[in-house]
Amino acid sequence: MPINFLLFLGVILFCCGLYIVVARKNVIMVLIGIELMLNAANLNLITFSAFDSGELQGQVFTLFIITVAAAEAAVGLALVVKVYQYFKSSDLSDISDLKG
Amino acid sequence: MIDLKDILTLQTGPDFYWLLVLLALPFFSFLFSGFFGKRSPWISTVIIGLNLILSVYLTLIHINEGYQIFRGEWFSIGDYQFTYSLIIDELMLLMSIVVNFISLLVHIFSLEYMRQDERIITYFRYLGLFTFSMMGIVLFYDLLIIFIFWELVGLSSYLLIGFWYKKRSASIAANKAFILNRIGDVGFITGIMILFTQFGSLDLEAVKSMMMLSEIEGDQWVVSFLNAGEEIYHNLDGRWLSAAGIALFCGAVGKSAQFPLQVWLPDAMEGPTPVSALIHAATMVAAGVYLLARVFVILDAQALEVVAIVGAITAFMAAIAALSQFDIKKVLAYSTVSQLGYMVMAMGVGAYSASIFHLFTHAFFKAGLFLSAGIIIHQLHQLENKDIKFDAQDMRVMGGLRKYMPKTFFVFLFCSLALIGLPGFSGFLSKDEILLNLSVWTDYKGGGFYIPEVLAFATVVFTAFYTLRMILLVFFGEFRLPNILPEGGLKLRPKDGNLLLMLPVVLLAMLSTSLWLGITIDGATTWLAELIETPIYLVPERYAAKSLVDVPAAVFHDMHGLVMTVSLLLALAGLLMAYFAFKPGAKMQKRFVERREPSGPLAQISFYHWYQDALYNKFILPFLLLISSSLAWFDEQVLDRLIVGFTKAQVVLAHVIRRLDINVIDGLVHFSSNSIGRMGMLTKSMQSGKVQSFIVLSFVFVLLILLLLIF
Repeated sequence: MPINFLLFLGVILFCCGLYIVVARKNVIMVLIGIELMLNAANLNLITFSAFDSGELQGQVFTLFIITVAAAEAAVGLALVVKVYQYFKSSDLSDISDLKG
Repeated sequence: MIDLKDILTLQTGPDFYWLLVLLALPFFSFLFSGFFGKRSPWISTVIIGLNLILSVYLTLIHINEGYQIFRGEWFSIGDYQFTYSLIIDELMLLMSIVVNFISLLVHIFSLEYMRQDERIITYFRYLGLFTFSMMGIVLFYDLLIIFIFWELVGLSSYLLIGFWYKKRSASIAANKAFILNRIGDVGFITGIMILFTQFGSLDLEAVKSMMMLSEIEGDQWVVSFLNAGEEIYHNLDGRWLSAAGIALFCGAVGKSAQFPLQVWLPDAMEGPTPVSALIHAATMVAAGVYLLARVFVILDAQALEVVAIVGAITAFMAAIAALSQFDIKKVLAYSTVSQLGYMVMAMGVGAYSASIFHLFTHAFFKAGLFLSAGIIIHQLHQLENKDIKFDAQDMRVMGGLRKYMPKTFFVFLFCSLALIGLPGFSGFLSKDEILLNLSVWTDYKGGGFYIPEVLAFATVVFTAFYTLRMILLVFFGEFRLPNILPEGGLKLRPKDGNLLLMLPVVLLAMLSTSLWLGITIDGATTWLAELIETPIYLVPERYAAKSLVDVPAAVFHDMHGLVMTVSLLLALAGLLMAYFAFKPGAKMQKRFVERREPSGPLAQISFYHWYQDALYNKFILPFLLLISSSLAWFDEQVLDRLIVGFTKAQVVLAHVIRRLDINVIDGLVHFSSNSIGRMGMLTKSMQSGKVQSFIVLSFVFVLLILLLLIF
């Protein structure tokens, strides 16, 4: 299997995530999109690691990233909960306090 | 060659501060005495009393000490150093005593005289201002500063003549006095300018030294000296030397009421009577004579001749005018003008000492006459009530007052005898001295210069005549007021004044006798005349008059008996004429009461003072009015139009500038502010507040950075 296929998979995954982040209104969905983009990056790391004979750094690094991502997801969700409590909404179009 | 800087050395000393105090006390009275309410008049009086004590103290220390000058820097223009200088000499000391003494007596007198006036505080403040300015003239030894105080004296005289300014005649008289004084002052300042042009300094010591150094070369008046090491050579036509003296004399003509400006003094009698005594008899009008004394040594022969002749004319004219007046104060006013004429004439003939001597004796007896006339007027005013109104200064309502006011009568008599110049009274000594000097002067002058002598001796007759006439009309016969008023209208009779009124006049009457001067019939041997020595002239020899100092004493001695006899006989003749004309029951005395104005051309000339006022009104006034109306026309038609045109042009210009402002300058400002606003809006629109658009933007920019890195 050529490396391109795997990289394209990563790209597709990343684009899906980006699309979800940009297009969906719900905060939870945006968070999910971000996870997808993160995992696309992980996929890239694994791909390069697989084609790099005898070296496992990429895969180990991915494991670390997954761990950190879990923590980050927890922090993200906590923020979402706080944001929801404050704005009484999980719709991003209602959260526009940064408007200049 | 002498350096101006060496003459104008700065000098100070402990007495300098005493002199400043002498000046400051009356000024203090002027500034602050108003703040004490009812006690103000008393406080002013006490202040002037202190000033008198101080001047007596200074006199006791410095008399017979020669002179002493204090000098300080004032300001400088270019190389010309302006200094102020104060002098202590006999003239200044005696003058300061006279001014303060008369001022104090007038203050005391006014406490009673002005008691019922609502502006009494202002009145006393004006008196303080007057005393201050008079002291300034007396103390300073610099023509420019003397001129400043000279004007201040004019101002205070103006304020006091017009003190009852609600009376129209009073305010007109004040204006008249002020304007005629200004005419004289133009001359004064011209003289100052001539001297400054030639000598580069106005300090009298410098002027005198320079005058001594100056020479007449050909017909040029030349002076050369150093000014701070720099050699200076000035020359003017010799006639400027005479012109300077005559111009300075013009100042004295205005202030001392000499012909042709003397018409203001009789009108000045509109002021309160104590003011007439202080200002228009004793001190201010003597300032002109004082000025002449100060500049005496720099007057040349020609200027002195003018002075003598003007003085003689004034003395004669005024004596004639005093003959037929109805108003007691007018008689005294003309008499004052006449006596001032004597003093000025004496200065003109070179009898410096006699002139100053007469100034002092006259100050006392004329102030005494005015103040006792003031008592009469004041007491007659007391008789007025809402039903009875009369002119309390008119001698037609008086008569027989001797019975009601015996003390005032005696005081008035004493002062009058001094005025007539009978032996035993101060006026005799000084007038005799003047006439003696005049006779000696006439003898060596010869030619047409006997005219002043004739006029002066004629004045003796008239002086005796009008003085006795006044006494007879006021104090003898019967009291005419009740006859004029409706039957039984007048129940009260006038009586002598109280202590405040009597004390000053009694003092002045005592000073009118010659006892305080010593028992003598020769004025020149009295201590007062000996204190004031006639200085010698400092003008270049060719222009100088022959000094009376150079005339041997024997000439005076030989002439004295004759002059005295003649003047006494003339005075007696005047007295006899007056007695037979105006004794109670005489024809003229009876007719006097009924008449509105004297009949006959001679009497009319006298009553209207040679028609001088009418002459001025007829010939000079229209001319002046023509000038002023043409100036007014010029002002309205030319200057005003110019100004209006200029203003209109400015308005047009302003409109143009307004357009420019709105369209160009405002446009630029608006453009810059608007464009910045738009830029702000643009950048603001990026901050949409939508989290997702931030993300898209940052993603796009990351991509752009990547592209930049790769290519």
